[in-house]
Amino acid sequence: MNKEGKFYTILFSFITTFVFVLLLSLLNASTIQRIQDNERLFKIKAILKAFGVEYKNDQEALSNFEKYVKTKRINNVDLYYITSDAQTLYGIVFNGSGLWSNISGFISTDENVEKIVGIEFISQAETPGLGGRIEEEWFKNQFRSEKLVNGTITIQIGGTGDYDHENGKVDAITGATQTSKSLERIINDHLSILRDILGVRQ
Amino acid sequence: MNEFTKISKNNLIKENQILIQVLGICSTLAVTNNLRNTMIMAIGVTLVTGLSNLTVSFLKKYIPRKVRMMVETLIIAFYVIIVDIILRAYLPDVSKALGPYVGLIITNCIIMGRAEAFAQANTPLISLWDGLTAGAGYALVLVIVAFIRELLGFGTIFNIRIMPKSFTPWTIMVMAPSAFFIVALLMWVAKSMSLKAGGKK
Repeated sequence: MNKEGKFYTILFSFITTFVFVLLLSLLNASTIQRIQDNERLFKIKAILKAFGVEYKNDQEALSNFEKYVKTKRINNVDLYYITSDAQTLYGIVFNGSGLWSNISGFISTDENVEKIVGIEFISQAETPGLGGRIEEEWFKNQFRSEKLVNGTITIQIGGTGDYDHENGKVDAITGATQTSKSLERIINDHLSILRDILGVRQ
Repeated sequence: MNEFTKISKNNLIKENQILIQVLGICSTLAVTNNLRNTMIMAIGVTLVTGLSNLTVSFLKKYIPRKVRMMVETLIIAFYVIIVDIILRAYLPDVSKALGPYVGLIITNCIIMGRAEAFAQANTPLISLWDGLTAGAGYALVLVIVAFIRELLGFGTIFNIRIMPKSFTPWTIMVMAPSAFFIVALLMWVAKSMSLKAGGKK
């Protein structure tokens, strides 16, 4: 057959594409379960961390999640809650666009949405070393037990961490103003969604 | 000289993909502010270059010239997706850290460059070797750049603190422009060295 002919070219392209894509689908099908488990585990860990539930390994994370965290679906939003001795803590998954990417994570508050309990990120692809640093512990720790002022949180420019948990303010990441601003908007939007679900006023 | 050693020498030093041929610059700028990510990127590119070279070399007799580059892209994409799936399934943390960069291996010109320049005209085994060493040459430069950038930008090496607490991190080193300066300096060194060596002959 003429190797440079139209028929051979089309046939060759078709067959190679078919074979390579088939191999990929097989690989994908054989690992999809594992990948989904990984993603689920990642989300579970984020929820546990945001609620302040400790775990030592993946197994314990799963069992603690089953044991402590309950879910309810209200207004098409999954509400997660956890009941401890004196109080119930609530939390929702948040999603929104940052500078480059979709930032998703989990935020938990007390029952009146007056105080943030914790915040964790599930996925983000902000600039590594700048916006990407929102996942660093020092940044997330600023949000721990932070009291909200007028029902919102303010991310202020500059600084290396605001650990005054009464003022409703946290420090932004130097050099990542856009990511910090977007995050502020995402968090405040989701705090008001959470308030709507729980039926509390600010 | 043995052909394999000659290829390694060329790919690592004499015809280094980044410093001499100026290929694969985009990822050199993007993923070199953190040594861990850089290493994974380098390993990914090395594997993909080697394996796609091998495959192109096996298939070269059957590929019609008109669709040659499309088929090469298909082969490259095939391996990159495999790397991505394996990372996501077995090393989820690494996959999270690299984010979109793994997919971007496809656009690395070194891989297509080796497939076109070498695998099209050589036997499979030596093509595999050529791809792996070209990737290693790329890795070498990336690691040097990342070492400088992570040390000055964060004061750490492999996320371990090296610089004293009083050290002020250079924010510019974290951002892409700093890689321009470092790569340019390295190119300068490499060029002047090769000119000197040429002069002696």
